[in-house]
Amino acid sequence: MTIEKPEMIEFRDVHKYYGDYHALRGITASIRAGEFFSLLGPSGCGKTTLLRTIAGFEGISSGAVLIDGKNMAGVPANKRPTNMVFQSYAIFPHLTVEENVGFGLRRDPRSKDEKTRAVAEALEMVGLKGYGKRAAHALSGGQRQRVALARALILKPKVLLLDEPLSALDKKIREQMQLELIRLQREVGITFVLVTHDQEEALVMSDRIAVMFEGEIAQLADPETLYRRPASRKVADFIGTMNFLPAKVVAEDANHTDVEVAGFGRMHLSKDQVMAGNGGEGASVGFRPETLTILFDGQQPTDRESMGTITEVVYYGDMTYYDVKLDGTEEPMRISMRNVFGRPVLDIGTRTRVAWSPGALVLFR
Amino acid sequence: MDSGNGTGRFFRTESGAGLALISPTAIYALLMLAAPLGAILLYSVFKDGYLEIIREFTLANYIEAWTNELYRQVMIRSLFVSLSVTVVTVLLAFPVAYFVSFHVAPSRKSLWLFLITIPFWTSYLIRVFLWKVILGYNGVVNSGLLWTGIIDEPLQWINYNVGAVVTTLAHAYAPFAILPIFVALEKIDRSLLEAGQDLGESKFRTFLRVTLPLAMPGVVASVLIVFIPTIGDYVTPQLIGGPEGRMVANLIQLQILKLDNYPLGSAIAVSAMAIVTAISLLFLLMTRRYLKGPK
Repeated sequence: MTIEKPEMIEFRDVHKYYGDYHALRGITASIRAGEFFSLLGPSGCGKTTLLRTIAGFEGISSGAVLIDGKNMAGVPANKRPTNMVFQSYAIFPHLTVEENVGFGLRRDPRSKDEKTRAVAEALEMVGLKGYGKRAAHALSGGQRQRVALARALILKPKVLLLDEPLSALDKKIREQMQLELIRLQREVGITFVLVTHDQEEALVMSDRIAVMFEGEIAQLADPETLYRRPASRKVADFIGTMNFLPAKVVAEDANHTDVEVAGFGRMHLSKDQVMAGNGGEGASVGFRPETLTILFDGQQPTDRESMGTITEVVYYGDMTYYDVKLDGTEEPMRISMRNVFGRPVLDIGTRTRVAWSPGALVLFR
Repeated sequence: MDSGNGTGRFFRTESGAGLALISPTAIYALLMLAAPLGAILLYSVFKDGYLEIIREFTLANYIEAWTNELYRQVMIRSLFVSLSVTVVTVLLAFPVAYFVSFHVAPSRKSLWLFLITIPFWTSYLIRVFLWKVILGYNGVVNSGLLWTGIIDEPLQWINYNVGAVVTTLAHAYAPFAILPIFVALEKIDRSLLEAGQDLGESKFRTFLRVTLPLAMPGVVASVLIVFIPTIGDYVTPQLIGGPEGRMVANLIQLQILKLDNYPLGSAIAVSAMAIVTAISLLFLLMTRRYLKGPK
């Protein structure tokens, strides 16, 4: 009988000080076994520090870090069931690809032949079959990345830690590696913990994401919740684009809140649309650009409709972003439209109808 | 269209500009290094007359230099001294370089390097004399030990011998050995050391498997920088070595300036150079797997 262990990593009120600087401010969270977890935030938010406390490169000032139920206090990096893919990849320049991948196998009791086979298999898994004899410094960035992955995965760690592994790669290779990492993670079933400042990368790859600001977790949720129901205005602003409008709460009961928004009128919002954390500036509502729709001639609105004037047009090929100043509002709203076949790109100054739905917005107060 | 003359065009090409840049140095080196070297090579195959040099080809000087028991002994002693100095200096330099590179805060590193160069502020000759003062019959060490009553009469074995020469030279060459190792250690990406530990190795094992191999180019440079000049050192064995501590440079000086035997002195000098070259090349060959540097 197997005992279910849903939690692979647990942070219990983790604090970290560097002198006077409070880098981690009471992190309490858990990462489930076998999930692809991301730590997302701007630089200096403590996400890398938190990752390094898992690896054992960084001690903590108070609290506890548990891996697979064991408190890691006093356990050095070389004794932890984790392996890391470093931002710089940290490929040993004096060794061949093969020697790099086999570096951690020194104390493995298997025979030399079996180890050689294991190295070859690991290289094949990351798509570097036949590269074993190459000098490590003769590899491209993407290949180094793969060597670093093979070197870590060959040790079959309980947790694989990835410190901004894709940030140094070109856009095309980065996108390819994102998909490959997802495939690898499903294949090996190891818990992956990724540190990134790229919100798109986090949304694409993760099962769950912890958004961090200034040493605290601002929200921990799956990508869709994070995008559609950001817990604070700050999270909403960091992940994707969001239009914010000042709002006035006019009535509320246990399950609903009614707000008045200039240009949109009165709206009846359900409880799950209401978030805290507007940063003490009264209330505001947020719309994602794709939840607003420009109506072309003859199209019927889905829910409600306002009039506005286009003030800016940004053409991206597959998409066009419009800034539209709705009648009765102060700031223009950003609206994204997919450039489907036959749809024209509108000019600045065009009067247009904009459809929207109260269900798509979020209230921060 | 540009229509400069031939020379002007030549100096505008990349290789031409390069040659123009190094030519002062190259001319200086040719005059000061290659020309005397050529003269020594010539002398070494000439015959020695009573008051003049007879310009006839002979290998007799080399045969004398390699078969005479005395000369051979001095050569072997010189090799022994410079190898000892090299081993002692590099072994002592490595921990210093390691400490400055890994344990000194980055903002303090230049201060430390500055401190390491302090011995250079005094001239080499004065430093050698100071060692004489420290190790001499009535020197600091002896009078100190006498005063504390540990010994009853001055120690004789600390001065005017090979040991004293090694001590003095190791001190003189320490900064030369520290700096190349320091530079090699500085170039090591610190995440490589974390990677070593992350992959299950202890700090010591990581040192052996990552730090040391990556520091080898610096160690090799240190070894050569110490070994090559010390074998030909003249001042220290002359002042500190005593009769038993004479080295090959003293022998050459004796032949050329005291006995006026230019050909034999030249042959000994060329032989010493050949031996140093051979040992250095052999050493480079042995360590070449560490030197095929990245990128």
